[in-house]
Amino acid sequence: MMEENNNMMDFMEAVQLLKKYNINVVGSKYVESADDAVKFSNGDPIVMKVLSDKALHKTKSGVVKLDLSKPEDIKAAYEDLYNKAQELKPYKILVQKMIKGGTEIIIGGNTDPQFGKAILLGFGGIYVETFKDVSLRVCPITNYDAYSMIDSLKSKNIIAPDKESRDMIKDLLMKVSKMLMENENISELDLNPIILHDGTYDAVDLRFILGE
Amino acid sequence: MSKSIGIMMNPKSVAVIGASPDPDKVGYSILKNYLDLHYKGKLYPINLKEDSILGLKAYKSILDVPEQVDTAVIAVPAPITPEVLDECGRAKVRSVVVVTAGYAEVGNIELENKLVSTAKKYNLPVLGPNCVGVMDLKTGVDTLFLPSYKFDRPDEGSLGFVSQSGSVAGTILDLIGGEDIGLSKFISYGNASVIDETDILNYLIDDDDTKVLIIYLEGAKKSKEFIDVAKRIGKKKPIIIAKGGATAAGSKAAHSHTASMAGNYQIYEAIFEQAGFIQSNDLDEMMGMAKFFDKQPLPNGNRVGLITNGGGTGVLATDSIYRNGLSLADLTDSSKEYLRKVMPPIVNIRTPLDIGGDADYTRFNEAIKTVVNDDNVDIVAIIALFQTPGADSRVAQAIGNYASICKKPMVVISEGGSYTAMHKKIIEGSGIPVYSSPEMAAKVMAAAVKYSEFRKNSEN
Repeated sequence: MMEENNNMMDFMEAVQLLKKYNINVVGSKYVESADDAVKFSNGDPIVMKVLSDKALHKTKSGVVKLDLSKPEDIKAAYEDLYNKAQELKPYKILVQKMIKGGTEIIIGGNTDPQFGKAILLGFGGIYVETFKDVSLRVCPITNYDAYSMIDSLKSKNIIAPDKESRDMIKDLLMKVSKMLMENENISELDLNPIILHDGTYDAVDLRFILGE
Repeated sequence: MSKSIGIMMNPKSVAVIGASPDPDKVGYSILKNYLDLHYKGKLYPINLKEDSILGLKAYKSILDVPEQVDTAVIAVPAPITPEVLDECGRAKVRSVVVVTAGYAEVGNIELENKLVSTAKKYNLPVLGPNCVGVMDLKTGVDTLFLPSYKFDRPDEGSLGFVSQSGSVAGTILDLIGGEDIGLSKFISYGNASVIDETDILNYLIDDDDTKVLIIYLEGAKKSKEFIDVAKRIGKKKPIIIAKGGATAAGSKAAHSHTASMAGNYQIYEAIFEQAGFIQSNDLDEMMGMAKFFDKQPLPNGNRVGLITNGGGTGVLATDSIYRNGLSLADLTDSSKEYLRKVMPPIVNIRTPLDIGGDADYTRFNEAIKTVVNDDNVDIVAIIALFQTPGADSRVAQAIGNYASICKKPMVVISEGGSYTAMHKKIIEGSGIPVYSSPEMAAKVMAAAVKYSEFRKNSEN
């Protein structure tokens, strides 16, 4: 289904763009040494990934290491990923703070050849295309549209069990719609997963495909 | 363009180009339709050979007609249509309907382009080609070439109908004709070569005769303008839509999860959702929705006051009600108190209110009266099974009596054979829609609740 694409926006560049629209992204950083990664962790659990166009399915390619907090584990993980990455040049090694628990959703964007930018909300994670519990709207969306996107999901009571979470997701959808409208060059977008946790949310993985 | 559609629907004069004395020809049916509907304007048959058709003086060419014609209906073979259209341009015809087929829809792009360029040259508003045209029973306009004995022509009313396809159009008009629904305007537009769906919606948005609209659409020609008019009309009147072409064709390879789940069909669904359109999957559902929205007010909430004279059907209906996001109303204490007094002891005073298989019209009447006036009820739903000993025409009459009294929407669920069909007619004649399945009734009620919410909230 998914094809390789070289027009992908650099991860940290995408993070900057999201931040410009006040969209939360989990703490993320490129590292060039094991020490860098240890310093980033500072005792907290982290995730370490190799980013490369040649390894789009990071989990399948074995280039993701989860839940690292001890310095020796971080160092070992770095060595391993560094070695694997030599076949995946050009590459970058990314570390992120690890969020434990929470509910995963997807918010995405696409460009319809006739009607332009569209925004998608769904029950997220790796099974998003299996469950296909998603709703779609054409951008720009209104508050009504955003609420109705949430309400039309079978999983609405899981992802938005109360007014606060409903409003939070609504605001997030409005921000993503705005970003899609103001950045013509983003032809496809996956924020998947966005993890809802502790009354807030963080985008964890992201994929920005740039148009011609 | 929308102004030109207005002319087509109420022309002072009509020329039928390709009019024929042969009852098997399209050009005969069209002319005959205008006569049958007692069209009040001038009619000009155009035919190269005949001097008169159906008692009307015929002309060799539109250019010979002594006045500027409001509408020309073109029903000549496809290859000569550009020429005929050019004559219409020179004769300064105000609007044109081309019913002839054989253009882009069969791959004859060149001929279609010729037609479009001729229309552009004279700035001619052209409906079609490859369509069955327009119908307005109030003004006696009917370009449909379907032999009238083969289908039930609808009565005059407030339901508008727009169809890309001619065959779907014939079927739905026939179905409308068979129901107690009246038609305001019908427009079929075929290849949408000049006048397209956006123009038609722009016309219907301000058409006061059309209170509810049903649309059969395969795709929209315009993009942003279509979304814009869809959003405006959805806020003004209920729009019931069926979209053909559910399978995405020609979609490009996706690079993301999102793109793989956001095909062309889903985009249309999204637009309809944002415009508050009521989406139906087939013509059956479309008609079920149409007969509700045509006659019933919008509900203020989703609490259904369900009355039944059959236990099992009551259970099925309850399932359907909850499955579609509705809920059963809990009647007020005063309602319950009253019902306890008037109902026999076998009747359990709770919803669904099962008034028993032996319920006659007086028991129905007491139950309906109570539920209709109960503040906890937003929609009144009555299951009336006419196979039961107590149910007869007086029950149908008792239900029908509330059509004009009840300020809340009402639906009836009634399934059965010919005896039931007869009573269904009585009830529907009063304006209350009858459904043969609880699921369809629940779907319709849920659509009404959703549309009502949309009208209340979409401005924010």
